[in-house]
Amino acid sequence: MRVLGCCMIFGGCLGLGIWYRCQLNGRIRTLRVLRNILELLAGEVRYGRATLPECCGHIARYLSPPFDNAFLEIGHRMEENTGIPFGEAFRQEMEGVLKELPLKEGDREDFLKFTLQTGFADSQMQLRTLEQGVELLSARQSCLEKENAEKCRMAVGLGAMGGLLLILVLC
Amino acid sequence: MENSILQLFPLRYRAFWQNAAGDQEHIQEIRLRAGRPVVLNRDGGEVFLDGQGRYTDTLREPSLVTERMLQEILEHICHYSPYAFEEELRRGFVTVAGGHRVGVAGQAVLEQDGTVRTLKNISFLNIRVAHQVRGAADRILPAVYGRHGLKNVLIISPPGCGKTTLLRDLVRQISDGSPYGRGMNVGVVDERSELAGSFLGRPQNDVGMRTDVLDGCPKETGMLLLLRSMSPEVIAIDELGGDGELQALGKAAACGCRILATVHGEDRRDVERRFGLETECWERLFDLFLVLGKEQGKCVVRRMEERGREA
Repeated sequence: MRVLGCCMIFGGCLGLGIWYRCQLNGRIRTLRVLRNILELLAGEVRYGRATLPECCGHIARYLSPPFDNAFLEIGHRMEENTGIPFGEAFRQEMEGVLKELPLKEGDREDFLKFTLQTGFADSQMQLRTLEQGVELLSARQSCLEKENAEKCRMAVGLGAMGGLLLILVLC
Repeated sequence: MENSILQLFPLRYRAFWQNAAGDQEHIQEIRLRAGRPVVLNRDGGEVFLDGQGRYTDTLREPSLVTERMLQEILEHICHYSPYAFEEELRRGFVTVAGGHRVGVAGQAVLEQDGTVRTLKNISFLNIRVAHQVRGAADRILPAVYGRHGLKNVLIISPPGCGKTTLLRDLVRQISDGSPYGRGMNVGVVDERSELAGSFLGRPQNDVGMRTDVLDGCPKETGMLLLLRSMSPEVIAIDELGGDGELQALGKAAACGCRILATVHGEDRRDVERRFGLETECWERLFDLFLVLGKEQGKCVVRRMEERGREA
């Protein structure tokens, strides 16, 4: 019974470490997806000269859940012309999606930043706002990737060691 | 709600415009000028809006248009992406859903060769409310069809007498078919998006089931392009403006196309003088001339001439 208890404590702590590692990797993966979304939007603006609401409808088919539905919804909302500004509609829809993902507040803000900068008469300016978002997310991603290897090892190690420590204390 | 002028405004201004939108049938134009009162052209007269968006015919407590309001409306009209409407802004107007046309004016930014690159500091908007009058061409249809089928028709009219409205309904009825003739394939070259009121390439006005619309294309180029690509039986253009367009119409007629066109002018003589062409030239091209005008504030066909003789 005692051995079983020890195993469970050790397993639980190790699991916690692994879960934290997954969270760290998940954040990097999500940042990559967000960067990709901004790049797709920039592509639509650059080559198709599409409006931002149109871009959302167009790129939805290249995205996987939950982003695909969210982008389709933004496109529909703007097409219905309820009078809500694009930036507001985009934020409302994306905030619901982003809060479910392993992201920090700063990540979300970097992604949504371009919605505060719309209404340019020059497509290059609009492109620049999207590219700035890509750059910010890239910087976060590469910073995380550097730290990540270390953190991941440490998370699993700490989990295992914490488990052992707990076992020792309890025994 | 569909096609309502309310859709031209961002949410925060919709309560203000609710009253005017409910009266859309009577409104021809909405003029917005920065720092000036809102002016509506209603049933041929002018009315203003007070702070609550109610009609007022005095300037005692008018609602003034702010620069911010203009900017927000323009951004909304351009789907928060004015860069995608660069060409339209350069031409000075944007056609929106519902076929309404928003004219813009402000400070022009010029290219080195003197052409307009874009407009900035846009301080004036003129919203021309689209009105499709179904049946406007009912009474002239018998005259438009002759023994040998559809005639080549030129509609002559001063501004504001309904030539585009008449041509639009004529196109619709010719395209769909009527008791006077079967439905025909009609090609419309809509340089200023007035006839079909296309928005993102889709006509917002009913121009008939057999009508193909080439939107935003110069008429001269567009007619030849349509002839090659869509083989129309009828070609329709609004507001003839130059010799090149007349020549392109001639080519279309030579290809066996029937032609429908409108032109600014008081009467045939006025048009002939402006184009510097003899009566025979016009009569070689057109079979029927409709001269429009206004009587007691209503648009009417003042004269109908068929190759020199009154029809």
